[in-house]
Amino acid sequence: MIYFYDGTKEAFLTALVLSFRDSDPFLTSGNKQLVLGQETAFVRTDQDKAKKVEERLLSFDKDCMHDLDTILRSGDVGKDNVALAYFRLLAEKKCPVRMMLGEDAVLAADECIHRVGFEIHRFHGFVRFLGTASGALYAPISPDNDICDLLVPHFRARMPKIPFVIHDVKRKKAAVYDGENTFLAPLDEAEVVLAADETAWQRLWRKYYDSVNIPSRERLKQMRGYMPVRYWKFMPEKRPFHDAEGDEDAPVLPS
Amino acid sequence: MIDERTLTILTESAKYDVSCSSSGSDRRNEGGIGNGYASGCCHSFTPDGRCISLLKILLSNDCIYNCKYCLNRRDNDLPRATATADDICGLVMDFYKRNYIEGLFLSSAVHISPNHTMEQLCLVVKKLREEYGFHGYIHVKGIPRADMEIVNRTALFADRMSFNIELPSESSLKLLAPQKDKESLLLPMAKLQREKAVFRAEKRKGHFLPAGQTTQMIVGASPEKDGSILRLSQGLYRKNGLKRVYYSSYVPVLHDALLPEVAGGALREHRLYQADWLLRFYGFDAEELLPPDEDLSLEFDPKCAWALSHMEHFPVEVNRAPLEMLLRVPGIGARSAQRICAARRYTRLTFEHLKKMRVVLKRAKHFITASGKFYGAAENAIRGLLSAQEAHANATQLDLFSMNETALSALTGEL
Repeated sequence: MIYFYDGTKEAFLTALVLSFRDSDPFLTSGNKQLVLGQETAFVRTDQDKAKKVEERLLSFDKDCMHDLDTILRSGDVGKDNVALAYFRLLAEKKCPVRMMLGEDAVLAADECIHRVGFEIHRFHGFVRFLGTASGALYAPISPDNDICDLLVPHFRARMPKIPFVIHDVKRKKAAVYDGENTFLAPLDEAEVVLAADETAWQRLWRKYYDSVNIPSRERLKQMRGYMPVRYWKFMPEKRPFHDAEGDEDAPVLPS
Repeated sequence: MIDERTLTILTESAKYDVSCSSSGSDRRNEGGIGNGYASGCCHSFTPDGRCISLLKILLSNDCIYNCKYCLNRRDNDLPRATATADDICGLVMDFYKRNYIEGLFLSSAVHISPNHTMEQLCLVVKKLREEYGFHGYIHVKGIPRADMEIVNRTALFADRMSFNIELPSESSLKLLAPQKDKESLLLPMAKLQREKAVFRAEKRKGHFLPAGQTTQMIVGASPEKDGSILRLSQGLYRKNGLKRVYYSSYVPVLHDALLPEVAGGALREHRLYQADWLLRFYGFDAEELLPPDEDLSLEFDPKCAWALSHMEHFPVEVNRAPLEMLLRVPGIGARSAQRICAARRYTRLTFEHLKKMRVVLKRAKHFITASGKFYGAAENAIRGLLSAQEAHANATQLDLFSMNETALSALTGEL
């Protein structure tokens, strides 16, 4: 049977219970091409059921909800089934299964978790803030996984006095730190007034980037391996020096 | 704001320094901007494949020394510049805020005198910490022959310091960098190490080089063999407690009768780093890897070369071999070895399992059995098989004037 759910943790836990006796469940929060005669179910979140099963799962493995949160953030289309298989195994074994790397379900979950974690680590480096006129910082990003709120604690610890916004342009939402609190908000397009000296700093940074390179040892493949091209969009140093309007000082803004 | 010309000159002069890491410091933010990031963080990558983690810059490239291999040597006709402390501090703060960099890597040419230069470096980092409230990562280069009192004072503000060994032997140093000698480079390292131990033992407040010391040496500008280089590194790790030794394959930026005209091979540098990792994370000794008067094999990676000459230890059974032995299997890295150890507690591992766990079996399969099964080649065939794979991986399209190793082997008929 195919189970459709809304992608939240509670709905997932409900679906886990509903599909538990099903020998061949398929869980999805997106679209799925149906085959004629295929049975489908739309999972409606049952808070009580979800709470109960969460407690039970936590008694098997106290860190498992962290795993679930991470897997559900993945940008991978198969993530729902990866999580389902992993949690069915956990329910079956009744003990932490994380290190049972002989199991396919664990390997798939492990890889998924690793990818999300790795992207968070990468973005600790790849986020580029723009200085705005109000003094706050603004960073547009378009990561593979839904991680923008997970980036906040890192930057908040570094710059506790500067408010900042990390805007996931792809998912149209933003993690905001206002100098005291952090919250997540839907954000379609941001109107950003750049600080007067922003362009000058970007220019300096690009000059630095160009001069620190050793041209006689060019290894482009290695560079792209470490810093995939899809992440370049919001990096001033990877923007072609002249943009479409021929204005080489134009600041980087989300398109 | 620092002007573009100064920034370009001072960066161009600093870029051949290979140290790049920003790891090892757990410095906390104390009311200003920035903190340490123990695992280190790369912020960008340049087209030469290196990462940008720290703002790598010289305070001045105006040098009184005349080291033959160095771009900034006195005789070299090069635009010279000196930045002010505020220039550097402002640059660090604004780059850091925008998340361009993880911190500062500050070095300097020896300007006026070693003591004067070290004093200037100390002033910049002190200012950055105290006036600008910067708590991010700072790596400061130690100036040889500077007074230890100034060096120690600088260490209170820096996360990491490094004295460059420059060349792997004293005789080469004499020839190519006559103003520096072994004493002026190794002694401050030992003294700093002692000072750090005292600082810790007395539980003094603040920090003293939380990320330790590193060094770097140029490989290929002088005739030392890899065997002696690795013994030197091993000594530095074990006796001087260094965190990293960097090797930089020689890039001919200057011409001198005493220097080779061709660049040191990138592959040699790579092999040295591989062997360096074996020393630090895989429990190898330099003595096991190669004799002092030999170079590392370019054909095989150092672990593979070791295994091929110690076939009596192989194959090992992945379900039983201790972690230390798994780490010695060519192709199995630290992560794979640990995952194998974890997974085999629950199940008997087969080759199918290993493949799914993404253990790279290309080389490993000749040296392991899984649940008693062996999929490798006969012992006398392994060497040929592995070297053939290597040769294929290094093959490149040649042109008329290419002078890399493959081209050379084509000329000699070896290819």
